[in-house]
Parts: sequence; structure tokens; C-alpha cells
Amino acid sequence: MIKRMLALDGVQVVCQFRDDGELVEGYGMMDDQQIAGLARFAHDYKRIVQGNTDQLSMFTQMNGWTPPGGWIVRSDKVAVVSVANMVCLIDNNEASLNEVMREMHTLAHW
Amino acid sequence: MPSLESLIELNGVEAAFQFSAKGELSDFKVSDGSELTESVLDLLSHLCVANVSIASMQARGWETMTGMKGFYPIKGFTLVGFAWTAITNDDFGVVMSNDSVDYEAAYAALAR
Amino acid sequence: MSIYSELANLPGVMAAGEYSYRGDRYHFEGQMEAEQARMASIMCRATTLATHMQANMMKALNAECGCAPAQGWMVRGEQFSVCVYGNIFCFVDNNHASINDVMQFLKDNVGEQSGELV
Repeated sequence: MIKRMLALDGVQVVCQFRDDGELVEGYGMMDDQQIAGLARFAHDYKRIVQGNTDQLSMFTQMNGWTPPGGWIVRSDKVAVVSVANMVCLIDNNEASLNEVMREMHTLAHW
Repeated sequence: MPSLESLIELNGVEAAFQFSAKGELSDFKVSDGSELTESVLDLLSHLCVANVSIASMQARGWETMTGMKGFYPIKGFTLVGFAWTAITNDDFGVVMSNDSVDYEAAYAALAR
Repeated sequence: MSIYSELANLPGVMAAGEYSYRGDRYHFEGQMEAEQARMASIMCRATTLATHMQANMMKALNAECGCAPAQGWMVRGEQFSVCVYGNIFCFVDNNHASINDVMQFLKDNVGEQSGELV
């Protein structure tokens, strides 16, 4: 199912990971080891974002932050985008971030 | 401001390093025979800056909610690793072996 | 007597506590209100989890760099510091505590961390 992310412009890699960080499935322009590394990074980063968002809620006493729905780390040329237990590597010049996020949210609630 | 020359002379220090506010390694010195590399120190710099940022957020939140002042501004972050300890203050840091770590001497030298 | 109770009695240690890595329990002793201790345990747990992941990432990028598994961390403010080893934390007054003594106590009593956050 997640393979359909690759049909979107600019999506180079997509993968899904378990709650312990192990790769479930992954597709795209990376070898298997690199995809497993992306899954591990996304899992680690997700936990960091969750911890920090919990604290933001605690300190601001403001609802609506936690649990976080996803995150984006963006550099000049590429971005890593994650929703739920899915992560994509996208090319900033070719991909529509809104479209990628929309599709990932749809897949996450499938 | 401390100098890398003085920091590397501290007892037990294997590496001394300086980094930017964004965590980029700007200069470093490593003791003879140490296995610590520029690449490791660059990553350590980023790690410490990341944690200072998080701690700053925590200090702000804590002081606002509890009224207990004294944490902000955060001066540094220390990572006690399995074999090594990295101690940073502002934009300087040192790496010491866990066996010979001296936190107070390190902080005193870094705060100079 | 628990480790954190002993820790709380060291000179300059304002309060000490322990938290579960799952985030469902915490205990503390010292000059801190219960709500403050709850917040402190949430903060320390979050930073501990992040530090473990960061150390593991360092290890993945640099074989055997000596930083993983992470044992603990310390953050230093102008007047106070927070020292953490494993799942034990304490708030320390910089001017009245020996950071070396506090960290040595933690190292000796909490023991080596395997990296298993359970």
C-alpha cells in the first residue's frame, strides 16, 4: 500500500517501521541497508519529537500539540517527512509537500 | 574565554573542541594517540547544542510554571557515555575518559 | 534506604527522585512539591530517552566511539544543575554541592547502564 507514495512527484523513498524501529517494508532509490537506516532514524526522531511535544503541552497547558501527528526535517535539497510509522525522503524541488503530507495522512488512517 | 591549548592540557582531557551556536565544529585539539576524530567531535558538538536547546526550553517552562529561577540561561550540557564523558559550556567542550573524569575541573576551565 | 533518598541527603542536593522509563511511575524526596517532581520526572525521562537515541546514533555513525550506551547526563544552569544517571535524577545547587561527589555517588550506586530502557 505504501508503495503508491512513489507515484507522487519527488518522492524518492518511502518506508514503514515497527514501534521498535525495525523496518516493515521500504521502497525507492536506496539500498536495503540505507532504507533500514532511514526507518531507524525516523523511529528515533519520532520518540524525540513525542517527548518534546509532551513537554510543550505540559509547560504551555495548551491542548492540541500531543500526540504529534508527524514531523518534517527540511534541508536545502531534500526533506524527510514522517506521519505515524511511515517516512518518506522527498526532493524539495520536485515534490509538493502538501500533496505528500495529504497522501501520508490518508495512508496512516487506512 | 578558554583556549583549546589550555583545555587540552587539563588532566584526563583527550580532546578539546569549539563549536558554533548551530553545533558546527569550528576548531579542536586531540591528545596524542587518542582515537577521537574530527568527525566524532563534530557530531558531539551537534548533540550538545541540541540538548542545550532542549534544556533551554525546559528551563523556560520550568521557571515560568514553578517560579523557581536559576536554570536559565543554560550554560552547557554533559553527556556521560559508556567510556567517554563530553562536557560543554557555552561554545567550548572537552572529552574525558570516564575513568579520569573531573567535572568540576572541566567546568572551571571551560568557564574561564 | 533507596538510592534517591540517600542522594537527596548529599550536601547541596535539593531533591532527588527516580522515574520509570515507561513514564508511568516516579518517586522523589527533598525540597520539591509533588507536582514539580512529576514535571521533573517527565523532563528527565524525555532527555534521557533522547540522549540514549543520540548516543546510539553516534555509535551507528562512528563504530565504537565510546558513547553508547549512554550512562547519564547533566545540564548546568547559572545557579542549579540537573544530574541524571540511569533513571535516577537530582536537582543540585551549584554553589553548595560537589558535582564530582554527586556524579560519583550516582555511578557507584546506580551501576552501569546496559542500554535496555526497562
